[in-house]
Amino acid sequence: MSLLEVRDLTVEYSSGGYKVRPLSGFHLQMESRELGVLLGASGCGKSTLLSAIAGLLRPHSGSIRVGGTEVVGLGNRELTRYRQTSVGVVFQAFNLIPSLSARENVELICRTAGQSRTTARQRAEHLLELVDLADRMGHRPGAMSGGQQQRVAIARALALDPPVILADEPTAHLDYIQVEGVLKTLRELADAERTVLIATHDERLLPLADRVVELSPRVAPAATAVEHQHLDDGEVLFEQGEPGSLVYSVESGLIQLVRRRDDGSEEVLSEVTPGGYFGELAPMFGLPRSATARATGPSVVTGLPLTHFRSHMRKTAHGA
Amino acid sequence: MAKFANVPVSTADALHKGGLRVSAGTSAIGPIWLASIRDLQWRWRRFLLAALATGLVLGLALMMSGVANSFSVEIHNTVSVLDARWWFVPAGSPGPFTVAAPFPASAAAAVRQVPGVTAADPILVSRALTGGAVGSSSASGVPPSSERDVNVIGVVPGGVGSPRVVEGRPVRQPDSAVVDEGLGVKVGQEIVLNGTRFDVVGLVSGVTYFAGVPVVFVPLGAADHLTVDGEPLATAVLVRGTPVDPVAGFTALTDAQVRSDLGRPTTQAAKTIQLIEFLLWLVAAGIIGAIIYLSALERRADFAVLKAVGTPSSHLFVGLVIQAVLIALGAAIIGALVEIPMSGSSQMAVRLSASDYVAVPVVAVIVGVLASILPARRAARVDPAIAFGGGK
Repeated sequence: MSLLEVRDLTVEYSSGGYKVRPLSGFHLQMESRELGVLLGASGCGKSTLLSAIAGLLRPHSGSIRVGGTEVVGLGNRELTRYRQTSVGVVFQAFNLIPSLSARENVELICRTAGQSRTTARQRAEHLLELVDLADRMGHRPGAMSGGQQQRVAIARALALDPPVILADEPTAHLDYIQVEGVLKTLRELADAERTVLIATHDERLLPLADRVVELSPRVAPAATAVEHQHLDDGEVLFEQGEPGSLVYSVESGLIQLVRRRDDGSEEVLSEVTPGGYFGELAPMFGLPRSATARATGPSVVTGLPLTHFRSHMRKTAHGA
Repeated sequence: MAKFANVPVSTADALHKGGLRVSAGTSAIGPIWLASIRDLQWRWRRFLLAALATGLVLGLALMMSGVANSFSVEIHNTVSVLDARWWFVPAGSPGPFTVAAPFPASAAAAVRQVPGVTAADPILVSRALTGGAVGSSSASGVPPSSERDVNVIGVVPGGVGSPRVVEGRPVRQPDSAVVDEGLGVKVGQEIVLNGTRFDVVGLVSGVTYFAGVPVVFVPLGAADHLTVDGEPLATAVLVRGTPVDPVAGFTALTDAQVRSDLGRPTTQAAKTIQLIEFLLWLVAAGIIGAIIYLSALERRADFAVLKAVGTPSSHLFVGLVIQAVLIALGAAIIGALVEIPMSGSSQMAVRLSASDYVAVPVVAVIVGVLASILPARRAARVDPAIAFGGGK
């Protein structure tokens, strides 16, 4: 049984009135002792995945199991206990409480879980010693370097000895000297009973990883042939969110571009008439389709591979 | 490798590695108390300023409350010090203090004849000015430069209405006076009333009316000389006992009716002061609410992190309410302290009891809790997912 198992995970949320789906059908399996690295550009869903595993975000569908226990569908109380005891999170900007000392930042987590003040304090001191901060326990975050703050954040994540440690861009705010200590510490966390998952776009972390998961937007294979398509009234040419490799020009009829709102309604963005073209952004930038294209009445469109579309545009420009 | 391989938590039942740990103990409110106190220390300048500003407002509210109290207290004192069971005033007069309806003092004799009356004496209620130019100003307790209105009550020496003194003795001689200690005159000094000198022979305490105007008791004859050219007139007959029959031409008023009459001229002022007091409490609530709202906004990321690591929303709510309560309590203490010099410099009487001082922190805590509910609810609803993404 895997320590962390993510199956067919889809996360969807509203942004600016529209549905956004940063993760769709995602799979991941992590064993104990493993350190996994989620690699990808900004906006590809790394933090979303960590949020879902941390129990901060309810996924649209799919399964997240930690130690065999299903996390998706837990009630609020169980989810609170899950966050306390089953996952430890190291945040990108450290996110330490500025008014608390290093020791208190760690102690707070233990006491929130019901430990006595003495036990919590001993635990905090022990963990801070492990991250080589024995001499900085009484300092507030503002009086510590970025590397030291990140090590306090690691100690805080370990406070209740969770089996899963999640780290979001742990090296983003550190210089190269500080990075070394933090990476060493993170590597050591992955032990017989613990797995560590790091989201980053810092490739310096790759040599540390037992498993690398690249999170990139789904890009359609580049098309090479021109396609002519006859569409009936109401027939959908492509759906919002799909990958796309063709740019379409309208030969006859009318194509409506509509965007789905998060309340289920549709917004008509534009109507493309013969001679017009649409759908160029998805193949150009490797993005999913941002709208659905649907025929209004019998229509004929021509799908152009990106190379054909560019030469067509050049010719049009010279002709003009 | 792995110095972290053996870092067990102390509560053994929480250590089921690889499983969903739901037995780490009950979430305690203690850590939120710690976080709230530390945040107060961290931003102490802001909270101190808020407590000072709120404290000044509460001090002012307390003083207003004292002024409003003084209206009813002085009425009670004045009526009580005359120690009468019934007040006979000319028929149609609302009371002895607000409408001057003089009648011959000899009418008291008819009242004394009524069965059930054990004692009855006339009084004359009027006003005068102290510190007049006539007489030895150097010997006067109130120098001419500080002229002041006083209420004058002419009483029969040793009769009904002759006040109980707190120092000295009651009036006997025609030129003797008993004054309220608020006038600032000592026994043995002299005062000048409308140009006539009186020896102060005794003091009464807290006997004022019409918003702090002190009362001077003089013999009835002297009062007649001061105000009605020596005519033997009176404005009321004070009675002890229980008269069985009415007296023609007179209305018998109880103490409660006399107090109501005496309070009527200051009713609007008292209501206005109470309104101001209420508005001041609103301002105090506004200050506390604003400071807690700011705190909630600034600590949004902190709250998100706390929720992300398993702090229940209710604890975050309580944490901010704790801060509001502490600010309110601090403000109440400051308010009670600043009220003393503020009231001392007030020209109006300010009467506060121990219960008023006790009520301030109690009400302040209630106001603090109410003022913090909205910002605390906002903080408790923060989305823990914003802890990700690096934004502080």
